[in-house]
Amino acid sequence: MFNEEELVRIHKTRADLTGNIVLVCFLLILSRLWYLQIYKGKTFYIYSLENRLRKDNIQAPRGMIFSRDNQILVQNIPRFDAIITPQYLKNKKETIAKLSSILDMTSDQILKTLQKNQGQASYIPVVIKKNITDKELAIIETENSKMPGVSVTTFISREYAEKEIGSHLLGYISEISPSQLPKYRKRDNINYKLGDFIGQAGIEEQHDLTLRGDDGYEFVEVDARGRLKKHFRNENLFGEIENKIARPGNNMRLTIDRDLQESGYKSLEGKVGSAVALDVNTGEILAMVSRPAFDPSQFSRGLTPEYWSSLINDDKNPLRDRTIQEHYSPGSVFKTITAIAALEEGIVDENTEVICNGSFRLGRRVFHCWKKNGHGKVNLSKSISESCDVYYYKIGTQIDIDVLAKYASSLGLGKKSGVALPRETTGLIPTKDWKKKRNGQEWHKGETLSCVIGQSFVLTTPIQLAQAYATIANGGKLLRPYLVKEVFSSTGELIDKGEIVEEDHIKFKPRTMELVKKGLRDVVNSPSGTAWWHKGRGIKMAGKTGTSQVMSFSADKIYQKCEEKEYKHRHHGVFAAYAPYDDPKIAVAIVVEHGCHGSSAAAPVAESIITTYMKKYYPDIYEKNIQQEKNIRIVIPKKPIVEEEDTPVLPVDLEDKPEGE
Amino acid sequence: MNRSDLFDAIKKYDFSFFGISTAIFLIGILNLYSATHATTESSIYTTQLMWYLFSLVVGFIVSLIQPKNFFRYAYFAYLTCVVLLALVLVVGQKGMGAQRWILLGPFRLQPSELTKIGAVLALSRWFSLHEPDKEMNLKDLILPFIIAFIPTLLIVVEPDLGTGLLVILIFLVMAFYRRLNLKTITVIVIFGIISGGLMYQFGLKDYQKKRVMTFIDPSADAKGSGYNAIQSKIAIGSGQFLGKGFKKSTQASLNYLPENHTDFAFSVFNEEHGFIGALFLISLYVILFWRYLWLSQSVSKIFDSIAAVGLMAIFFWHTFVNMGMVMGLMPVVGLPLPFVSYGGSALLTFGICNGIATSMSNSRNLF
Repeated sequence: MFNEEELVRIHKTRADLTGNIVLVCFLLILSRLWYLQIYKGKTFYIYSLENRLRKDNIQAPRGMIFSRDNQILVQNIPRFDAIITPQYLKNKKETIAKLSSILDMTSDQILKTLQKNQGQASYIPVVIKKNITDKELAIIETENSKMPGVSVTTFISREYAEKEIGSHLLGYISEISPSQLPKYRKRDNINYKLGDFIGQAGIEEQHDLTLRGDDGYEFVEVDARGRLKKHFRNENLFGEIENKIARPGNNMRLTIDRDLQESGYKSLEGKVGSAVALDVNTGEILAMVSRPAFDPSQFSRGLTPEYWSSLINDDKNPLRDRTIQEHYSPGSVFKTITAIAALEEGIVDENTEVICNGSFRLGRRVFHCWKKNGHGKVNLSKSISESCDVYYYKIGTQIDIDVLAKYASSLGLGKKSGVALPRETTGLIPTKDWKKKRNGQEWHKGETLSCVIGQSFVLTTPIQLAQAYATIANGGKLLRPYLVKEVFSSTGELIDKGEIVEEDHIKFKPRTMELVKKGLRDVVNSPSGTAWWHKGRGIKMAGKTGTSQVMSFSADKIYQKCEEKEYKHRHHGVFAAYAPYDDPKIAVAIVVEHGCHGSSAAAPVAESIITTYMKKYYPDIYEKNIQQEKNIRIVIPKKPIVEEEDTPVLPVDLEDKPEGE
Repeated sequence: MNRSDLFDAIKKYDFSFFGISTAIFLIGILNLYSATHATTESSIYTTQLMWYLFSLVVGFIVSLIQPKNFFRYAYFAYLTCVVLLALVLVVGQKGMGAQRWILLGPFRLQPSELTKIGAVLALSRWFSLHEPDKEMNLKDLILPFIIAFIPTLLIVVEPDLGTGLLVILIFLVMAFYRRLNLKTITVIVIFGIISGGLMYQFGLKDYQKKRVMTFIDPSADAKGSGYNAIQSKIAIGSGQFLGKGFKKSTQASLNYLPENHTDFAFSVFNEEHGFIGALFLISLYVILFWRYLWLSQSVSKIFDSIAAVGLMAIFFWHTFVNMGMVMGLMPVVGLPLPFVSYGGSALLTFGICNGIATSMSNSRNLF
């Protein structure tokens, strides 16, 4: 044991030393205080009384967005806001009254705005009216000296040249919300503050960091009334202050063609639905339209409550991008995939023939063909072109659902397309495992019969359908759709380029492709095909119609005319296509919600987009095709031969049928 | 206990620690009132008062504990703090971008505050048990350094660099007092410079780097802390010799100093009370530190002596770093000025420190 008291005593020198060091530290503090308060005190005192140092933010211009044909899609236009800086506000009542007459507002409104911002520091300006007119701007500028505290700031407004055309794809920017603030600060490692604009949807959101510049700031000296002074009064004292120049964001050129986008937008006029067009050889997205749409410019200028409530109260949900965020049963469009799987697996071949008499029986259940009286003798190509359900029911009894899912997946269905846009949905291709996980039940054979014709659990997004048909068109290359062709710095240097990404490459048997493509070609180009009426001119389109049943009907209603049903019960019209069939360049997929038929509702949209594309990019081929068609001299019938194409029919249990059947 | 016993106990009770602290606190709360009376947070001085009273009660209870119990439970207290720190990282509440609190019902527990005391007690115990009669060399420092480093690491990743480094700084003071030999001191200084440089290069978050950069070059700042530093300097300087007077701060009332009731409270005080006011306030702090050093030489146990120096170090580093920070001598690291800056957790920590010191002081005459 040590003698404790002795131990304490031997540490005394260190205690004294510690005390001396503490004293020295505080002498250092005091000498610094002496320097600041006595030596430089007068300078600081004058400065604190007479002058104010203000840090002004400089907004960096956001990058512009161009279409592939170099048209401006999104740009920045300077607008002006009227502001009040509370710190410098004098004669409050008079000044506000004067300002209210200029801005066509009531004094109460201005006071309310000021009150709302009372919590913040008084040197921070409060925006009274956004986006003032040139006239208001002129008056404020000239009357400025009579209204201390009132001034004008420039505001760079984000404006979308085509308003609604492309709204979902481009997205919009708006002020960062308090709940986003901490999340995004962490994610981007950028010190966002309230009032900062960030991309909130579409490309604006996805490529926010590319498009956004780097804001700058400058220190300015203002007098007691808040007026700017040109130079710092105390050069020597604040010589260490430096300003930061704002760095503009990068510009982007998209793969989107402005004219195709417009063509898709216009042909969906008055409809609820969407269209996607892809370059089949690169995966570039040529057009991507969803309707109803909205005007993104409204968001960056500060949304009016009326416009906002009109958007969120619309049950058609205009803010939703139906090309990637909505999934539907693909209906008969899916038969192409079933056909490919059946051919590859050897379940059917070119010689397989099925007799369709309008229905198919499996156990106790009866599965109907959309054509009540049946198609008669059907082979594979005819099964596609006339969309015979019974042919596929037959396949359905022989194919394993997991095998079908494998083929669907290799064509891009049931998984995200990978397009660089936020909130893409996955769709669904059912498997046995999936069902077991979902509700613990085994897969029923009858369910396969519904899936082979693209009903029941099968769900796809329009972009997936376009991707699948592009893959069929190019012979098996599954390409990831992309939107950004090039990224340029503000000085015009090329920074980044969109690249072709091959997700998968399936080697189909040549015979498979031949048969399927013939069927798809006949859908549009044979008078008995389901889309013959919308074959267009000079485009050599091949495609597949589909109808997606929204709900199941009782037996007596299954053949009721779609148009006579209530709007929300009507089928969705689906159409997927590519063109020209002899050398495919473009693939499209269209879904028109409650459009009843794939042919009459969706196919015209495809026809319009593809025609615009061929005319613009391949005028020679287009002209040649027109000439060829003239030579063939097909007489186009006045009425569609196929009147009621493709209405899908969910299976009906025999017990449910009326007695006597 | 009869009447004369109670009287005896009061006579023996050392009121100096709580007394000096309360004097500083009174200056602090007036300053807090002055700094915030014109803002929306004008009622926070009542909150501060409540916290101080609460810290006095807790401190008083602590002062009734026998000093041998501080020794006995030193490691236990330390381990509890480390577990709580680890817990904060898992379930902690986020405040100002950092994860520092655990919610216990209505209470927000900030374990990094209590850790300062836990570390002092654990280090004191270790130092007092390992050859306390000999000078120490570098090898002897390895284990106590680990004791200090574990909580430091846990606090730094919260991230709260200021408090984390504080634990190391306290450790250094205690090691110095426990008699390091000269060679070791030299090695530590060199090592400190190198590791400081390395940490700046690789270990700091961007905002922390910017604070350091701002200190070296205020114009290089992108987030406004350079602006704070300049405004703080204007505030202090404009106070001159006598100050502008109570509630007359122009810089603070115009909100030029964004954190004028927390980290920058001292600059408001300087603006209003000038050099003479600062001299007075600093004197009070120096008296408090002196009292702790006096305690370290008056106790009869080496554990108590080392602990007293450790507790002094807690106060000293807070005061020195905060003052240095507001007048541009040090980077902005966000340590509060004891009893002057707004903040309940810190008050509680300082109250407990005083309680421990008082308990040790009271036990001096028992033998």
